[in-house]
Amino acid sequence: MQRRDFLKALGTGAMLATGLSVRSVFANAAPHVVIVGGGVGGATAAKYLKFADPNIRVTVIEKNPVYIRPYGSSEVLNDHIGMQDLEVRYDRLRERYGIEFLFDTVTGVDPHARTVRTAGGVQLNYDRMIVSPGIQLLYERIEGYSASVAESRIPSAWIAGNQTRLLRDQLHAMRPGGTFVIVAPPNPYRCPPGPYERGALMAEWFKVHNPTAKVIILDSKDSFVPGPSMLLGWNRLYGYNVPERFREGMPTDGEWPMKIHEEPGMLDWVAGRDGGRVLSVDAANLSVETEAGRIEADVLNIVPPMVAGKVAFELDLVDETGYCPIDRRTHESTRHPGIHVIGDACVADAMPKSGFSANTQAKVAARAVVDLLAGRDTQAPLWENTCYALAGSEYGLYVADIFRLVDGRIARTEGPRFLPLDASRAQIRIGALYQQNWMRTFTDDCFA
Amino acid sequence: MRREDTVKKCVSVLALLVSLFAPTVHAQDAERPTGEMMGNTCAACHGTYGRLGSAAFVPLAGMEVEEFVRAMRAFRDGSRPSTLMHSVAVGFSDEEYQAMAEFFAAQRIEE
Repeated sequence: MQRRDFLKALGTGAMLATGLSVRSVFANAAPHVVIVGGGVGGATAAKYLKFADPNIRVTVIEKNPVYIRPYGSSEVLNDHIGMQDLEVRYDRLRERYGIEFLFDTVTGVDPHARTVRTAGGVQLNYDRMIVSPGIQLLYERIEGYSASVAESRIPSAWIAGNQTRLLRDQLHAMRPGGTFVIVAPPNPYRCPPGPYERGALMAEWFKVHNPTAKVIILDSKDSFVPGPSMLLGWNRLYGYNVPERFREGMPTDGEWPMKIHEEPGMLDWVAGRDGGRVLSVDAANLSVETEAGRIEADVLNIVPPMVAGKVAFELDLVDETGYCPIDRRTHESTRHPGIHVIGDACVADAMPKSGFSANTQAKVAARAVVDLLAGRDTQAPLWENTCYALAGSEYGLYVADIFRLVDGRIARTEGPRFLPLDASRAQIRIGALYQQNWMRTFTDDCFA
Repeated sequence: MRREDTVKKCVSVLALLVSLFAPTVHAQDAERPTGEMMGNTCAACHGTYGRLGSAAFVPLAGMEVEEFVRAMRAFRDGSRPSTLMHSVAVGFSDEEYQAMAEFFAAQRIEE
């Protein structure tokens, strides 16, 4: 108890040091907010709760003491960064803001009594809870695929960790002239540009280290984000022939035209309409059966369908879509009052499942939680998402959107979203520079 | 199995239709968020409270109100070349630029 008071005092001191002079409305009875999940959403929510009112007690329950960030983790595959560069620690959230961390696993919640229990035998009372559980991968949805196959032979590497390292090692050991096959997931999924950026980064790496290698992206979808701007990048960098239906607006002359290559390059994308949907996997032979026939791989990377993280199911926050329905204004669960859901696991209409989305959802939810605890009206929410993506290490792309609440739904604000197809070389290069800097500034906004 | 496939196809066609006709909104037609609510969405690139130690993005903390509004207008009408700031700037109204500008002008440059 004394120690807690000391920590609380320390937390308040830290707040003053950061120049915040928010007057607390909870001077006598400080409420307790428990956050389940210490990823992008949970960490950002903890920090912005403290900004909104420094007297609120905030406890984050997270199973891993070190966070392995998924955003940017494909850059491990081409050795642009190492596994250790994905590691994020919670020290600064604890020290600067007095946020408490419990490294443990939630085993149950009583939403009426507002208590949460952990595997380690801790029971906590909460006034409001924020759940940010991320995703879980449904390996078994693809015939022949499973978690154990993913851990040993055909990694998904979609939740960064051992599978990321395994895929990196397989790619680096691939035989000269081998084929790297990526199976992209159906909508909705975490990180919409991710599979296409991954294919591009490996094509770039192979050009130097394995120039006769091939990259094939198999897809059940007929389009993806950031769409034509990525296809144009592939055309310029890897000799990909852009399908006619995507060529509108692409430059045909000038400093960097789109070309039609007699001999297509090393990277190919097979859309759903061309038979790209995968029907089954043969793990022993590293091949996949698609609607267009059998495809042999030397390295196979499957991103399976996904749903909300396991804890969201355990807490009964999920509906038949596999994700968590919420009141969009506050992110409060429509299934269990007092529990707010943010990030990849929540139903957020037009917003993509991305780290940037989780970060702005966390800020909206934190503000709503504090207003509700204080008995104030909740504010009009505003969200943003920017997915930066690379077509090459110096070829930056993006999709950027502002989102607003319209008739109870999250709607995109009208306007252009992608890098224009006539962007200059300088703009494209600056885009890549922004992507690299964003990795740092974004991580700091969430975790520091 | 076949029935499930049909259902799946219907669901995906429905999802496609929903995404094609997903409503979009103009900045001036929605309930206006506070400067802080809007300004917090800038933090992922421009730093918490617009305080930035890195070099690639412009720090916003302490920026003069008029400078912020002028920059956002120029990003919106294209007179100032940008990468993605045009996409961001078209998402807000002039009144919202002003509210965000006041939020950032009130922030200390350093912690």
